[in-house]
Amino acid sequence: MYFEAELREKNYHVDVTETQLSWKIAIQEKDKDWTYYEILKKDYKPSESYYSLLFQGASYLIDVIGKDTEYTVFTRNSFRKVTIFNDEMLLHESLKRDGHMGKQKDLRAGMPGKVIQIFVKPGDIVKPNSPLLIMEAMKMENEMRCQSEVKIKQILVNQGAPVETGQVLILFEEDPV
Amino acid sequence: MLTPDIRPMYSKILIANRGEIAIRVIRACRELNIKTVAVFSEADRDSLHVFLADEAYPIGPAPSKESYLNYPKILEVAKACKAEAVHPGYGFLSENIHFSKACAEMGITFIGPKPEHIQAMGDKLSAKNLMKKANVPLVPGSDGPVETLEQAQKVCQLIGYPVIIKASAGGGGKGMRVVTEPSGLESSFRACQSEGLNYFADSTVYIEKFVTDPKHIEVQVFGDLYGNLVHLFERECSIQRRHQKIIEETPSPSLTEPLRQKICKAAVTAAQSINYLGAGTIEFIFDSNTKEFYFMEMNTRLQVEHPITEYVVGVDLVKEQILVSLGHPLSFKQSELKQKGHAIECRVCAEDPVTYQPSPGVIRACRHPQGPFVRVDSYAYPGYEVPIYYDPMIAKIITWGETRQEAADRMERSLTEFVLTGIKSNIILHKTILKHPKFLDGSYTTQFIEKNFEIIEPDLFKEVDDHVFLIIAGIHALNDRKNKDVRQHNIPANWKRIGRRMQLRI
Repeated sequence: MYFEAELREKNYHVDVTETQLSWKIAIQEKDKDWTYYEILKKDYKPSESYYSLLFQGASYLIDVIGKDTEYTVFTRNSFRKVTIFNDEMLLHESLKRDGHMGKQKDLRAGMPGKVIQIFVKPGDIVKPNSPLLIMEAMKMENEMRCQSEVKIKQILVNQGAPVETGQVLILFEEDPV
Repeated sequence: MLTPDIRPMYSKILIANRGEIAIRVIRACRELNIKTVAVFSEADRDSLHVFLADEAYPIGPAPSKESYLNYPKILEVAKACKAEAVHPGYGFLSENIHFSKACAEMGITFIGPKPEHIQAMGDKLSAKNLMKKANVPLVPGSDGPVETLEQAQKVCQLIGYPVIIKASAGGGGKGMRVVTEPSGLESSFRACQSEGLNYFADSTVYIEKFVTDPKHIEVQVFGDLYGNLVHLFERECSIQRRHQKIIEETPSPSLTEPLRQKICKAAVTAAQSINYLGAGTIEFIFDSNTKEFYFMEMNTRLQVEHPITEYVVGVDLVKEQILVSLGHPLSFKQSELKQKGHAIECRVCAEDPVTYQPSPGVIRACRHPQGPFVRVDSYAYPGYEVPIYYDPMIAKIITWGETRQEAADRMERSLTEFVLTGIKSNIILHKTILKHPKFLDGSYTTQFIEKNFEIIEPDLFKEVDDHVFLIIAGIHALNDRKNKDVRQHNIPANWKRIGRRMQLRI
């Protein structure tokens, strides 16, 4: 099955074929050469609560969270988020995102917490990576920043207010500047 | 020495805390054959301290204010289950004067600081005044407000540059100016006064010597009822971010033997000046350039990083706390205490190692490091959901070695061995710090994370090739697609089957 994948802001083509004894995987970073791998099924086995992978002589303990299009893979104290689509998934995803692929429409709370301070007001045009507000969660204060240049449309929380996961905190204008 | 007046051993102790420190105290109690009582909030029913204690009682909703800080409720539990003593651990109620007093009023022993010690050391200003009287070195400064430029010039001449001017009412980095030479004094002095006035409606400023490359070095002290007061040497905790310690070690790589003697003696003097009882820590700021050290504050409790002292000095500090609270004299003399080898502690937190954002959630796989000279104080287990309400620290790894190098190598292999998935953790951050030249030569200061450690994500994660992650994601994505198809086509729906049967009335 053919997939498109994104890992650390790089795009890849990934082709996975399952045979009786193995998975054959071809990986191509955009505009580079294909690399081919074969992982024998006996070399990628579930054990206890994780998988054991033997790959090119190296041994990895692996855990995977996620489904459909997003996987977080943990191994050797590292973790990576991989976004992976095939054609059908791409279609679903684009419908879900309402055509605004990748563009930030709002700022949402990543976890329950409390808004400590708000730095912006409606009408502000904010440069990429500048702080929008400070949230407190788990005793830590965290600055939340915007990814791209945005114009603030509306602020939906008050300073000091508790917020829930996924709650929209700030709305951005659809077409900034 | 007075004749010891020793009370019989407790039969039951309530631990007014959670997480790894509650478990640490449970362990000491077990070894002394004392029954343990855990208390827990609504968010902590599945926390490991609840499983490990002999008894466990709920004390209220998840927010600390309504549970772990709700001392009337905790004392009610202590009374009802007939606990004779309460151990507060660190944080929460450990330095709460009202709790300390309330325990005494109810005839329950508080295994922590006396109210008068909390009083003396709790307020930074009053603590500094006490220390001044006891001749413990303080950061040189104006010793009160500076009103005129002439006064400021005089003070600076006396203490030498660089200096820092602070607005008395200031905080959060506002109203603070560092001046490196006399020519810069006037403008900074005026600016600070006006900042103070504008931001805090108070133009009062004071001046202190500015420590350019500060290190955080603290000394463990211990006192008993009979006037014995010893130190258990120093701990260096300079690797911190926003005043949260990340890695601690002992001995400090920055102290020579004469300096160590001097700083430890100063700590004993400080503790003696208030007749301190029990375990405490005197924190100093150490100037890497001038090798001067100055009193910062005293913590009148057990510290998170106490295990490195236990490893190197060979004393069980929690057991000693319990025994001293019963009236036992200290089980060791100053002359018997030696530092043997080197110990390092890494605090493993549920947080993103790049952004430092907390990462609560369900732990999936969890395999703690094992093997020689490794100690793990952790409350993580597979399936445990790290709650959002409390400190993100979930485990402490402590390693010991004959030399600093050996302890560090052992720490690195322990971190490698630590499998923790499902949540993000700062394990990889620790590994990266351990390899940093400033850590290796011991020259790191409290500004290490901010100044010397600009993390570039690829560096942090270069250990594993990106293709490994892609291969795994590819296999799982394929399997998920496959499973979906199977579900859709091959598994008969029971609702449908039953519905048909009912229509057919069979």
